[in-house]
Amino acid sequence: MRKYVIKRILQLIPILFAITFLSYGMMRIAGSDVVTQKMENTGGVVSEETLDAAREQLGLDKPFLTQYFVWLGKLLRGNMGNSYVSGFPVFDTFVSKLPATLLLTVTSILLTIVISIPLGILSAVKQNTVVDYLIRLCSFIGNSLPNFFVSLLLMYFLAIRLRIFPVIAKDVSLKSVAIPAITLAIAMSAKYLRQVRATVLDELSKDYVAGAKARGVKFSVTLWKSIMKAALVTIITLLMLSVGNLLGGTAIVESIFMWDGVGKMAVDAISMRDYPIIQAYVMWMAIIYVLVNLLTDLSYRFLDPRIRLGGVKQ
Amino acid sequence: MSKRKNEDMNVRNTATKEYGKKVTVRVQKVKKSHIKQKLVFFTVLAVCLVILAVFSDHLCPYDPYAQDLSSALQAPSLAHPMGTDTYGRDMLSRVISGARASIFSTFILVAVISIFGTIVGVGCGYYGGIMDSVMMRISDVCLAFPGLVFAMAIAAILGGGIQNAIIALAVISWPKYSRIARSQTLALKNEPYIHAAILSGDSSLQIMLRHVFPNMLGPVLVTAMLDIGTMMMELAGLSFLGLGAQIPMAEWGSMMSSGRSMIQTYPWVVLSPGIAIFVSVVIFNLLGDTVRDYLDPKNREAF
Amino acid sequence: MKAKKILAMALAVGMTLGLTGVPTFADDKKTFVFGDTTFNAENEEADINPQNTYAGWACIRYGVGETLFRYSDTMEIEPWIAKEYENIDELTWKITLNDGVVFSNGRACDGEAVKECLEALVANHERAAGDLCIDTIEADGNTITIKTTEPKPALINYLSDPYGCIIDTQAGITDNGIVIGTGPYVATDLVTDDHLTLVKNENYWNGDVNVDEITVRTISDGDTLAFALQAGEINAAYGMAYASYPIFENEDFTFSSTATSRAFYAWMNFESPVTSDPAVRKAIAMGIDKESFVSVLLKGYGYPAVGAFPDTFSFGGQNLTTESYDPDGAKQVLEDAGWVDTDGDGIREKDGQKLVIRWLTYPSRQELPLLAESAQATLKEIGMDVQVNCTSDNNTIRKDPTLWDVYASAMVTAPTGDPQYFFTSCALDSSVSNNGHYHSDKLEELAAQMENEFDVDKRAELGIQMQQTVLDDNAYVFCSHLRMSMIMQSNVTGLVAHPCDYYELTADLDIN
Repeated sequence: MRKYVIKRILQLIPILFAITFLSYGMMRIAGSDVVTQKMENTGGVVSEETLDAAREQLGLDKPFLTQYFVWLGKLLRGNMGNSYVSGFPVFDTFVSKLPATLLLTVTSILLTIVISIPLGILSAVKQNTVVDYLIRLCSFIGNSLPNFFVSLLLMYFLAIRLRIFPVIAKDVSLKSVAIPAITLAIAMSAKYLRQVRATVLDELSKDYVAGAKARGVKFSVTLWKSIMKAALVTIITLLMLSVGNLLGGTAIVESIFMWDGVGKMAVDAISMRDYPIIQAYVMWMAIIYVLVNLLTDLSYRFLDPRIRLGGVKQ
Repeated sequence: MSKRKNEDMNVRNTATKEYGKKVTVRVQKVKKSHIKQKLVFFTVLAVCLVILAVFSDHLCPYDPYAQDLSSALQAPSLAHPMGTDTYGRDMLSRVISGARASIFSTFILVAVISIFGTIVGVGCGYYGGIMDSVMMRISDVCLAFPGLVFAMAIAAILGGGIQNAIIALAVISWPKYSRIARSQTLALKNEPYIHAAILSGDSSLQIMLRHVFPNMLGPVLVTAMLDIGTMMMELAGLSFLGLGAQIPMAEWGSMMSSGRSMIQTYPWVVLSPGIAIFVSVVIFNLLGDTVRDYLDPKNREAF
Repeated sequence: MKAKKILAMALAVGMTLGLTGVPTFADDKKTFVFGDTTFNAENEEADINPQNTYAGWACIRYGVGETLFRYSDTMEIEPWIAKEYENIDELTWKITLNDGVVFSNGRACDGEAVKECLEALVANHERAAGDLCIDTIEADGNTITIKTTEPKPALINYLSDPYGCIIDTQAGITDNGIVIGTGPYVATDLVTDDHLTLVKNENYWNGDVNVDEITVRTISDGDTLAFALQAGEINAAYGMAYASYPIFENEDFTFSSTATSRAFYAWMNFESPVTSDPAVRKAIAMGIDKESFVSVLLKGYGYPAVGAFPDTFSFGGQNLTTESYDPDGAKQVLEDAGWVDTDGDGIREKDGQKLVIRWLTYPSRQELPLLAESAQATLKEIGMDVQVNCTSDNNTIRKDPTLWDVYASAMVTAPTGDPQYFFTSCALDSSVSNNGHYHSDKLEELAAQMENEFDVDKRAELGIQMQQTVLDDNAYVFCSHLRMSMIMQSNVTGLVAHPCDYYELTADLDIN
């Protein structure tokens, strides 16, 4: 078991290598660079010599492989370099964006749990009643509206009409995080609600429920003691995948709400071809994914003992 | 060990059957025919959408690309049931015409990722070993590679446009299917009938084709059906970031994102494609649900 | 039943989560929040250090720094920190400063301070060094004498560029790029791509400052900006999307708009088999409906352009003539040149070559995709098939003249209020951006004259002749000029849009 975990974590190294190389290469093939990108945005025209001098200063004039290995060498010495755009150290920039993303992740996950578990159970228990249909309808609506559209509607109703929450984040606080978190929670809850409902329905049809009923155990006791437990396992597996996504920063939502997190940082960096920041972001994503996948695989094993880790040898 | 487990399950199954035979059978029969009705209903709706997409050119009341700046941003009326957009184009015609781009591109995307992903997943799950490790690492890389970076890089290399948005989404979404297929294959592999097939000398290919893939069809089909909605919205999201369909192409996601600033002033410009996306996502999701209920072995068991 | 209780609890938790934010208390301080779409690293405004690429724009716009001279509403040079200048000979300029100018930290802004600042500028700023060609600077009390290495008729204009903000170099620059200037506001906090906090400069040398505290918020999404202004979270906004304008056209809000020299225009590719044909270029110029583009798509917030510069300039479009929108005339021009639709598909051909126009443009300016899409439709009327390639990679593509026919861009044509800049950067043989390889003997000759012309009026006259030359060749089609607008709550006063886009937050700003 421990060996397996260590092995999986060691696999992170080649993945990191492959991913950083790939992203460097792709951005490179994509043409344009931070120097031209800046010139275009400001609408000025600068001489080719000036641009070349700027490139030389950033090392962008060197061959691609040299650039990559220079970057890698620095990284191994613990130096992630400076942003091409702002000139600030990449690591500091990245760390300064993390709390916002973490807060958004935690609140939207909590909201999702708070919405999807009770409603999912209710919907299953009241299967095929008006309540069930209503909840399912809501889940359908939540599931079929693009994020950017939901955010517009929420901004309009919660911030303009009702004036409960601010449109733009003033600071990293619970009040500011509300609308972005609700936006994310709506989409996730809609998905999870269905899963919870299916799991609970599945459990309800199991013999032990009928058995408990026959023994005169109160339904609510069965519900909370056994059914709830089964639903939680499903939810936790799903949530782990979502946490991965959320920790990577949800680019669209973060950009719309001016939520100064990792996702917004990545969108800005990509459009500016700010390689050092992109690399930091890509590495962060890789680390999250490997860890989340590891946890998921472990939980598969926990949920279904038929699966043995690392594949079955014949 | 697996033999003993199988026996256990048999015991349990017979027990259940005896326990409430008469009642459950009747209830489930009703449920089953109900599901069949639903299945037919939603299939008809989905087919209608596809027909709309196929014949969109003939169904548009106006040319969806004809601009008329003098009649820009008109509210819905008899002449233009969904109003007109910034360029004075008829929204109804654009929504109908957009069905082709939106629905077909989603179909292609989902078909590609589900087929490719399943083949890889089954192969990896069945053979295991180095191939499994290598493919799973590649899928790790694809999954771990931020979709956004990828989509933006693709857009920059190949140019924007719906085809390239499909490529970008395909590369980052196939591993989901291979993971489902792999874990299912791993579970199936320990089933006694697979062992039996191996013992009886069937080749690996035969076993996969005969025993593994058919078992995979249900879960993959259901996932794919439910994915149609998600992917339609992912494409819309890419359009929001300017990486999807190019102007002047009528595509729901890009229509919605280009009209989003008008939600307060000219709401029909953003609501018309929004409702179109909503309706199609709902239809495909309901169809997916019904197919799952229909294929659910628990229902089949009753017969 | 218990499910309901849980549900109620869940709702309660949700509500408390949402409502436990920190309430903001109103006090008697005057505070002002400004939402801006352009204050970000993407626009090279990562901070407010004028010697860092284009960050001077932020420094001057938000009232932290001031330049020696400023532009008037008609883009003429006016005194600011400096009182006057004297052009002693071709290479020598004597500049006299106003008395009593002080930096916000109390240090006097005298000749010595200006000298230090300009020397640091030339050492640190790549464009400034090339623009100014400064050889030596001498400070004497309140005067400085600048010697240039070559004749620089536009030296004073260049010194009025935002990079010329005078900062206290002895006070240094903080890690996050905050500088000490002479402006009405002092920066206290700055987070790139997020916000800038300013407080009143108690030592301001040029009058009283009304507002005590200002926050400049970077808001890159246009809809969010609109919602924030509606919700009252910001007092004024810069960079609103045209589609949102109607929301604010009521008594609660006021607009301040002005014509700027940012022009939206199409470059013709002279290497292309289609656009090298003068008839095709003429037809394109006649086939773009500038009036409707401005009145419908830009909601009237723009000016149909004739030449490179707006009418507010003395060398502006009022002095020029060019083709106007005339689809029938355009058809005739094409017909006469042998472009005829023979196969009946609505697109003309000539010698087997289809009249396909590859229209290259980019999305970061909201007007450009609108222009592309409207040109696509109007040019189709006259038998051209316009294929739009709207990509952020346009700068790489346009270097290869085989990949495009028309390139539509948005550029500030006269950032220094002088006509020379546009031509030297775009239209001459030596211009780095002349990717369509336009060449005109007449234009080269006029450009050579301008090179050594010190008289402002004569420079303007040359600027007019040069624009007319370019228009006669239909080498560029100037579609519109940006009517830059700021939208503010109606109780905001003193926030006025300026043609050069440099001055936004000034001491006049007030909120009632």
